Amino acid sequence: MDAISLGIMWDRLISITDEIVSTLVRTSFSTIVREAYDLTAVITDAEGHLLAQGRWSAPPFIGTAPLTMAHTMKKFPPHTLKPGDVLATNDPWIGTGHMYDITVMRPVFLRSKLVGYTMSITHLPDVGGTGFGTMAKEIYHEGLRLPLCKLLSEGEVDNFILDLIEANVRVPEQVIGDIMANVACNQVGGRQLLEFMEEYGLDDLDELSAAIRSQSERMTRAAISELRDGSYRNTIRIEGIDDPITLACRVDIDGENVHIDMDGTDAAVERGINVPYCYTNAMSLYSMKCLTVPSLPNNEGSTKPIHVSAPKGCILNAQPPSATGGRHIIGHFVSPLIFGAMAEAAPESVQADTGMIDLMNFVGTHKDGRGVSTIYFAAGGFGALDGHDGPATLPGPSNMAVVPTEVWEGVTSTLVERRALVPDSGGVGKARGGLGQEIVIRNDSGHPMTIFSMANRSEFPPLGLLGGQNGPLREHRVNGKTVHPKGQHVLAPGDRVTLSQPGGGGFGPARERPREKVIADVRNGYVTPQGAKRDYGVEEEK
Amino acid sequence: MSYRLGVDIGGTFTDFALFDEARGEMFIHKQLTTPDDPSRAVLDGCSHLLARKGVDIAELVSIAHGTTLVTNAVIERRGARVGMLVSEGFRDVLDMARETRYELFDLRLEFPEPLVPRYLRREVAERVKYDGAVETALDESAVRAAIAELVAEGIEALAICFLHSYANPAHENAARQVAEREFPELYVSTSADIFSNMREFERWTTATINAYTQPLFDSYLQRLSGGLETAGFTGRLLVMTSSGGMLAPDAARRYPVRVLESGPAAGALMSAHLGRALEIPDLLSFDMGGTTAKGALVNGYRPLKKYDLEIARLHGFKRGSGLPVKVPVIDMVEIGSGGGSLAEVDERGLIRVGPQSAGADPGPACYGKGGSAAALTDANLVLGYLDADFFLGGDMKLDEAAARTAIEASIAKPLGVTIERAAWGMHEIINEDVARAFRIHASERGFDYRGASMVAFGGSGPAHAMSVARKLKIPRVVFPAGAGVMSAFGLLVSPLAFELSRSEPCLVGGLDGEHFANRFQAMEAEASELLLEAGVGAPDIRLRRRLDMRYQGQGYEVEVALPDGTAMAEIFSGLAELFRETYAATFSSTTLDEPLEIVTWKVEAVGPEVSLADGFILEGTGDSGEARKGSRQAYFADAYHDCPVYDRSALAPGMEIAGPALIEERESTCVIGPGERARVDERRNLVAELGEA
Repeated sequence: MDAISLGIMWDRLISITDEIVSTLVRTSFSTIVREAYDLTAVITDAEGHLLAQGRWSAPPFIGTAPLTMAHTMKKFPPHTLKPGDVLATNDPWIGTGHMYDITVMRPVFLRSKLVGYTMSITHLPDVGGTGFGTMAKEIYHEGLRLPLCKLLSEGEVDNFILDLIEANVRVPEQVIGDIMANVACNQVGGRQLLEFMEEYGLDDLDELSAAIRSQSERMTRAAISELRDGSYRNTIRIEGIDDPITLACRVDIDGENVHIDMDGTDAAVERGINVPYCYTNAMSLYSMKCLTVPSLPNNEGSTKPIHVSAPKGCILNAQPPSATGGRHIIGHFVSPLIFGAMAEAAPESVQADTGMIDLMNFVGTHKDGRGVSTIYFAAGGFGALDGHDGPATLPGPSNMAVVPTEVWEGVTSTLVERRALVPDSGGVGKARGGLGQEIVIRNDSGHPMTIFSMANRSEFPPLGLLGGQNGPLREHRVNGKTVHPKGQHVLAPGDRVTLSQPGGGGFGPARERPREKVIADVRNGYVTPQGAKRDYGVEEEK
Repeated sequence: MSYRLGVDIGGTFTDFALFDEARGEMFIHKQLTTPDDPSRAVLDGCSHLLARKGVDIAELVSIAHGTTLVTNAVIERRGARVGMLVSEGFRDVLDMARETRYELFDLRLEFPEPLVPRYLRREVAERVKYDGAVETALDESAVRAAIAELVAEGIEALAICFLHSYANPAHENAARQVAEREFPELYVSTSADIFSNMREFERWTTATINAYTQPLFDSYLQRLSGGLETAGFTGRLLVMTSSGGMLAPDAARRYPVRVLESGPAAGALMSAHLGRALEIPDLLSFDMGGTTAKGALVNGYRPLKKYDLEIARLHGFKRGSGLPVKVPVIDMVEIGSGGGSLAEVDERGLIRVGPQSAGADPGPACYGKGGSAAALTDANLVLGYLDADFFLGGDMKLDEAAARTAIEASIAKPLGVTIERAAWGMHEIINEDVARAFRIHASERGFDYRGASMVAFGGSGPAHAMSVARKLKIPRVVFPAGAGVMSAFGLLVSPLAFELSRSEPCLVGGLDGEHFANRFQAMEAEASELLLEAGVGAPDIRLRRRLDMRYQGQGYEVEVALPDGTAMAEIFSGLAELFRETYAATFSSTTLDEPLEIVTWKVEAVGPEVSLADGFILEGTGDSGEARKGSRQAYFADAYHDCPVYDRSALAPGMEIAGPALIEERESTCVIGPGERARVDERRNLVAELGEA
C-alpha cells in the first residue's frame, strides 16, 4: 500500500466515523449530546485495534475504545458473534469512567467474516440512582450499572435488557430512545464500512489498520523526540467536595516514549468525584496530544508511545465500588497538572491554567407556575500560551456553551442584571490570560429559588506559567455577601446572586509584554490604567 | 423585444447572462471584476454585451444582480467605523461570544475581532424583559449623549442592540429616531429590524455586520443605478439575497447583510430550476470553483434553507471560527477545495489538499505566474483532464512542465511515488473531501441522497463530479451548458421575496385559532410591504408561513412549513400532527408526549415566479461542425487511457457518448470515466449515468 492509497482510505474511514456522529447527534434526545457533542464514534479492525475516530471527539473519549474492546472480546469472543449482534455497557471501568456514558458496539461482517467493529458512545439523560451529581458515597447509589451485554442478537432486541433499563431510570422514553439511536448509527456505520471495502476491493482491514497505526505511531514518536528528555514533576492542590485534594504526576520523556505516573496523588474519597483509570488515561493522552501533534487523527498508533499509570486506589485510579458520577470534576485537572509539569520541556506548547467553568443549578418555580430546574454555565478566561493571549470567557477542558441571556430569562423568569468582563482579571504576563466575567442574576420569579453549585478555583486560583501570574479566585455572592461556592442557597424573590469568574493564568514575565499591547488593552478597557501601571509598568501619556 | 440581464460579481470575474425572452436565447459574457469599484465592471460588461448583440439598453426589462461585495468587505475588513449602543450591563456580549471552543486540541484558538471594538460600544439605561415588558424605560438623553461621544470618535454607522428587542422593539426604534433626528448623516441599523430573532450574540453580531457594510454598499448601489440611468436603463434593478429572493435597491441598501453569499445562492437556485425542467425533484447542487466548493441540497424542487450562516472563518473552514449571521440563507456547505487548492504533506506524512489556496495570483504552478506549489489544477492537467492549449478557451496557455515540477517537489518525491500517481492522489483526495462534505451535510439534515441526482458546475466541478457521484452512489449527474456562469443564470429565475421572523415563544395549548391567525396577519402585512413598494401588485404576492416548534423544555426547534392555500383555522387544528410528521422525518425517531411550543413565527412574501420557461439555447451551442475534436491520454485509476475529446458547443441533442471521454467547454471540462455514459438532452444538458463499476 503506497502513501497515496493509505491517505485516501484513511480519510474515508474518518469520514465514516464523522457520519456516525452526525447521525447520532440528529437522532439523540439528550441535549448534552446535541449541544455539547458529548459523544464519539470509532471504527476498529477485527482484533479491536482502534483505527479511526470521529473528528469531533471530546477528550474523555480518547484512547478509551481499545480498553473497552479488550474487555468485550474477552467476554464475547469474536467467533461467537453473528451478524446483527449489538453489544453494550455503561460500566465505568470498562467504558469512560462514569455510568452516564453508554458504549454500543456492533461487529461488521463481510461475506460472513468478521472484519471489524463500529462503536459509539453517548451521554445518557439519566441512569437512575441519586441523579447527576456528587452525592453518592459508592457506585451502588449512582444508578443502573449495565454489565457488558448482548443488546441485540442477530438483529433481535433483548427486551429484558430494555425493560431493565426502563424500570431503573427517570426518563425511560428518552434513555431508550438514545440507546436505540446508538444502535441505528452503528448500523449506518457498518453499511458505510462495507461500501468502502467494496469500493476499494478490500477483503479485510488488517493491512490498512497496520499501516494507519504504524504511520501514526511514527509521527507521534517523532514529535515526542523533539521534547527535551527528562523527568518532570508537578503537584497541584485542588478543591474536593469536603477537603482539598492533592494531585501529583511525574512525566518521563525518554527519547520517543512518554511515561506519566500519578504517584503522590491522594486516595479516592466517599463522594461521586472519583476517577477510574480509563478517564485519567484519556485526559493524559489528550494533554500530550495538545503538546505534540494536535491535528493527528486519533487511533491506537497515535497513543501507543504514551503510557499512563496511577497507584491503585488513588483518586485518579479509583476502584469499585468508588462512586464516579462526577469524575470530570477532578479529572479535568489532569490537563493543568501535566501542562505544569511539561512547562520546562515544552514551553512553546503548554498552556497556563484556564479559569474553567462554573455550573450553577437553579431549581424553583417559574413566574408562570412551571417547575424550573436548569443549569447556568459561565466560563472563566482561557489560559495564555507563549505568544498567545488567552481569549476571554472560554471554557476548558470541558466545553459547554453559555445559555444566551435572552433564552435564560425566558426559561427561568430570573433577570440577568449584568454580564460583563472583569477588567484586570486576566493573569498578568508577557501573554495575558483571558478575562473572566461577572454575572448578576436577580430572582424575579416571585417564588423562592434554590441554587446549587460545585464551583472550583475558589481556593486555588488558575496558575500562571513561566513567570506569568495567577488569575483571581472564583467567588459567589448573594445580595453582595460572599457565600460558600459549594453547596446550596435559597434566593428569596428579589434576591441577587453574583457569579464572579476568574480570568486565565498569564504566561511569561509581564515586563516582556510589548508596550503597544498594553496600551491597546487599556484603550479597550481590558486592563485599567492603574493595572497597566501596577502590573506592566506602562503609563499612557495623555 | 424584451431582455433580462443577470450579473454576478465574483471575487475574480463578473459574469453576465442576457436572456432574450422572445427567442429563448441566452448570451453570456465574462470579464474581470474591478475590486476598487465593482460597478465599473458591471457597467462596462453590460454595454459591451448589449453592443455585441445589438440590443438597446431600453429593451432591458430588468437587471438582476448578485455580489460578493458585502462578504468580501467583512473578510477584508474594509467596512465602516461603527459605533454601538447596547443595554446597560451588556457591553461585552461581542467579546464573550458563545463561550465555546470550536476546536478541542489546538489551544491557540483565535476568534474574529468584533466589528465594533469595545471602546466604540456605549451602554444606555434601558431594559426590556423576555415577555416584552419594560423593566427600565429608555433614557433618551443618555442615548443622545452616547451617540454624540461616538460621533466625536468618528463613527459613520451605528448599530443599536438591546436585549429582547425581538419581543418588543420599542426602545430600539426610539433610539433610532433620536439618531436619525439628531445625527442625520449616520447610517443606523437596529437588531430587531434586520431579522428578528432570539439570542443576543448572534442577532447583535448580525446588526454590526449590517452597519459595517451599509455605507459602502449604499454608495456602490448609488454609483451603479446612477451609471445605469445615465446609460439609458429604464427597467428594474434587483439585488439577490442569500435566501434566493430578490430585493429592490431601497430595501437592499437598508439590509446589506441579507445580500451576503448571493452569488452561490443563485447557483443553487439554478440547479433547482434545472431540476424542475428535468423533473428531478431531489438534487445535490455541486459548485466548485477556484478556491472553494459549495454544496446545496434541493428537496422537492426547492433548495433547503436555513437561518444561520458564518462568514470570515479564521480557522480553515471550521464551524465556529467565524462571525455568525442570522438571516435567511440557502443552506450550503462550503469546503476549501477548488482548482487553486494546494497540496502538501500533512502531519500524518500523507497528502492533504486545501484549504490553503494559490488563489488567482500567482495561482497554480501551471499558470506560469511564479507559483511553485502544486495545486489541484496542476494535478488535473497532468492527469490529462485539462488541455494546456484550451484553458479558458485557449485564452490562457498552461505550463505542464511547471505543473509536473511542482507536484514532484511537493508530493511525489517526499512520498516516494510517481508524479502521475501523486497527481491522481490529489484529484482523488478532493473527490473524497467533497463526498464527505455532502454525506455529513445530508446526514445532519436527514436527507437521503441515494436516488437523488447531482448538478455539477463551476470551473472545476465538472471534472470531479462523476467520481464524487460514484462515491455517494448517486446514479446520475447533469452537466448544464454554461457551467462557468450558473450563478448569472440563477439570477434570472429568482422572484422578489422578503422574509420576516418573530421570536415569540408560546404554548400551542394556550392559543386559539383566531389568535393564531392574527399573529400571522400583522407579519404578513409587513413582509408584503417591501414587495408592494417595489411595484408588485397585491394579488401577485404569495405568502409562505413557517413555524419553529419544539416540545416544551427542548433546547432545539424543528421548522414546520405550513401548507399554502389552506384556511388558517384548518392549519391550526392540524398543527400538532404537522409537527409530529416533521419531527419524525427530521430525527427519524419516535415523538414524545409533551406539550408543544411555538418559538419563532416566520412569514415570507414572494412575488410572481420568474423563469426561463423550458430552458434556453445558449449562444454558439449546436453549431454545426465536428463535435469530436481529437483525443488525448487521460489517467483513470491506475493508467492512462486514450480518451476522445469533444467540443461541448458542437454536441447535438440525442448524441450518446461512452466513457472515457472529455467534453470541453470554455471554462470547464466534463470528465466521463471508463464504463460511464453520457447523453445530450434536447436542452443540450449533458446527462451522465454511472455504469456498472
